[in-house]
Amino acid sequence: MSLTLFYYLAITAIYILMSWSIYIPYRVGQLHFMTVANMAVSAYFAALMAINFAWPFWLVLIAGTLLGALIGFLVSNAIGDAPCFAVVIVGFTFIYLTKTIIENVEAFGGPLGIFSIPKVLSASADNRTLLLIVAYALVLITGFLITRFDHSRLGRAASAIFIDRDLAVSFGVDVKKMGMFLQTWASAVGGMAGVMYSFIMRSVSPNHFTFHLIGICMTMLFVGGYTTMWGALLAAPILWGFPLILPEALQSWNIVIYGVLLIVVLVIKPEGIITRPMVKKIESLLSGKRKKV
Amino acid sequence: MEILIAQIFNGLSIGSIYVLLVTGFNLLLLVAMIIHFSFPVVVVFSMYISWVVMTLTGSVTLGVVGGIASAIIVNMITAPMFQHIMKDRGSVDINATMVISMGMGMVITDILSHTFNQGFPIAFPDALTGNDQGALISVGLVSISRGQVLTLVIGVLFVAFLFWLLYKTRAGRAFRAIAEDPNGAKLVGIPLLKTGFQSYALTGILGGVTAVLMAVLLGSASAGLGDQLGHKVLAVSIIAGLGNLTGGLIIGLLLGILEAIIQGYLAGSWSNAIAFIVMLVVILAKPKGVFGSKL
Amino acid sequence: MAQNDSILKINNLSVAYGHVQALNDISLDVKRGEIVVLVGANGAGKTSIMETVLGANVPVSGDIEFKGMHIGGVPVDKNVRNGMFLVPEGRGVFSSMTVMDNLLLGAHHNLKNSTEKLELVFESFPVLGERRTQVAGTLSGGERQMLAIARALMSSPEMIMVDEPSIGLAPIIVNDIFEILVNLNKEGYSILLSEQNVYKALKIAHRGYVLETGKITKSGTAEELLNDEAVREAYLGA
Repeated sequence: MSLTLFYYLAITAIYILMSWSIYIPYRVGQLHFMTVANMAVSAYFAALMAINFAWPFWLVLIAGTLLGALIGFLVSNAIGDAPCFAVVIVGFTFIYLTKTIIENVEAFGGPLGIFSIPKVLSASADNRTLLLIVAYALVLITGFLITRFDHSRLGRAASAIFIDRDLAVSFGVDVKKMGMFLQTWASAVGGMAGVMYSFIMRSVSPNHFTFHLIGICMTMLFVGGYTTMWGALLAAPILWGFPLILPEALQSWNIVIYGVLLIVVLVIKPEGIITRPMVKKIESLLSGKRKKV
Repeated sequence: MEILIAQIFNGLSIGSIYVLLVTGFNLLLLVAMIIHFSFPVVVVFSMYISWVVMTLTGSVTLGVVGGIASAIIVNMITAPMFQHIMKDRGSVDINATMVISMGMGMVITDILSHTFNQGFPIAFPDALTGNDQGALISVGLVSISRGQVLTLVIGVLFVAFLFWLLYKTRAGRAFRAIAEDPNGAKLVGIPLLKTGFQSYALTGILGGVTAVLMAVLLGSASAGLGDQLGHKVLAVSIIAGLGNLTGGLIIGLLLGILEAIIQGYLAGSWSNAIAFIVMLVVILAKPKGVFGSKL
Repeated sequence: MAQNDSILKINNLSVAYGHVQALNDISLDVKRGEIVVLVGANGAGKTSIMETVLGANVPVSGDIEFKGMHIGGVPVDKNVRNGMFLVPEGRGVFSSMTVMDNLLLGAHHNLKNSTEKLELVFESFPVLGERRTQVAGTLSGGERQMLAIARALMSSPEMIMVDEPSIGLAPIIVNDIFEILVNLNKEGYSILLSEQNVYKALKIAHRGYVLETGKITKSGTAEELLNDEAVREAYLGA
């Protein structure tokens, strides 16, 4: 497998996970950009543990995910039921603080970051294959869990909160608990993506975890369609892929392209490309076919 | 003591910039009903335009005019885009306007970092900043620059003008009516879209003046400045209580003073971080704001 | 102008909110100098009629004529300019703004003679004059209703629509409000009134329409309706 293909596939998996980490709390109308900070923290955590203490990959993956969940949980105690803009600003602030600390503390490698994170398997080709398998296994697991959630009683309660918070409260939905659960989950996914990112890139630097990353994930989510999990899944490979085939001169403008796309879609088709009725239709078509067979 | 006085004065002049930005943000929130997160990005964009005009023509006056004009134009051009999605006020949630505004910020910031001055920070000429003329007042350790005085004076005058406009004029009355109850305002015959449009024009002027003041006070600008200010303005607005104009005034000034005092003791990036930590703690403790929200 | 020509004429009006049909084939008219009352239960469509006439809702079909002009789909601010004003259900005053501000909002489209208009209003409602600098939120329910009506007068209307003025008010104050409406009518204002307090409303009205789930089921002079068996049974508890 060529290196280009490996990076494309691997980073696509990361973007799918990160877009989902924004999707999960947006089920109750919260833009929880905190997950980008979780990604950064867990990525650095993974790098330091693997280099300094020779922790094995699997242990780091589990610990990094749990670290994300823990931070997410602690913060969610304060903002589990906060309005969207308060959640946004808390996320931004954490990203900013994480970046400042990383850039100014010697042990984190400063603005240059940390290099030469060890491979999981000593042969390069095997290492890449393993990482790809793990990355997509994590996508599958997370996707499966989101589907289960969306089709459960809890998922319907989350939708109710999104549409009308006061009404949901009057039906006895615990808005705060739901927010805390989704934020914790999203932060865990962010942490998981961070660990994978560390081992895939084999280096981490503060410039990787900025507002650009938020912009890209937000574009994937809202252009793909924020009402279902399938939007981000479809949009991530396309949006991440198409600037790569553009001429060099245009490639560096990808953020402008994403931004314009995001605005155009929100103005023309606010629900994004993939909508809930569309998914319902496809689901019923599939099940109909199955019955015929 | 003298140092403290100088720092407080410095803080007040930076704070008056925050107050202007927060007031613009709040007006758009109350009257046009959008969360224009990237309003400060538009202001920084206008600083760049002002710089381009100054560099090309060599005239400070034209630069000032260009900066103010560009803020008004950007605001008016983007107004129909926001108003298009706010037509269905009932079914559109206000968060969508915030995401659009963020998209706008992405585009503007990236254009600034690509094209102008090859992406390097820009520096404004001394003819504008007055840095070559030394301090205006200098007593012992206290030294106050022309830029600081100018920013503070114009900032105070402009905010006073805005409050006069809001509380004493016909347009201001309509603004406040929409802010309190859009539906009720519609029923007494206030045209929502047209009045909303007026608020875009007004905040455009406000943004342009702020851009010029920032150029005078800071003397330079970089592409990332807009995001940073957007972040601070939203934080100030939330801490004060979203849409609370008086609260925004107080918290904006306090943030300026807090930053100036911390800067006296700590290096740049850490002092910023401390300001953010303080804001974070307040937001985590009171996500609905200190003075209560007007929404 | 002749007493019996219509200031407002509605023909076969239908209105829907999404898939919900709110008004179905409504026809009614208000003549100059009349008080016409719309009678019906909650959700029968009284507010929908008024808001559609005002221009806040766009009709699906049908025709609205105001002073001989077709006004279906005309925006609220134009209609207010043309001489109609709505006193909304629940008063609709801006409670964070002063009495003065609220009154001036009524004259938003035409501030020219606002000083004289204010004087007239304060003459008819001395309470409001005393409290002109007070915030409307501090007024009592009756005072707020007066403010809402006074605000309507500030727009120099020819027709005033008053939606459920008696809701949440003590009976004595309701009498005051109704007296104000009668006096306004005597001064020449045409009034379209909606009320759940059917007896009192029919006592002051010239004519009335009975609405049930978006349809007009009965119409006639106030006296006819007061003596109608079905109306008495349904709305007057007799």
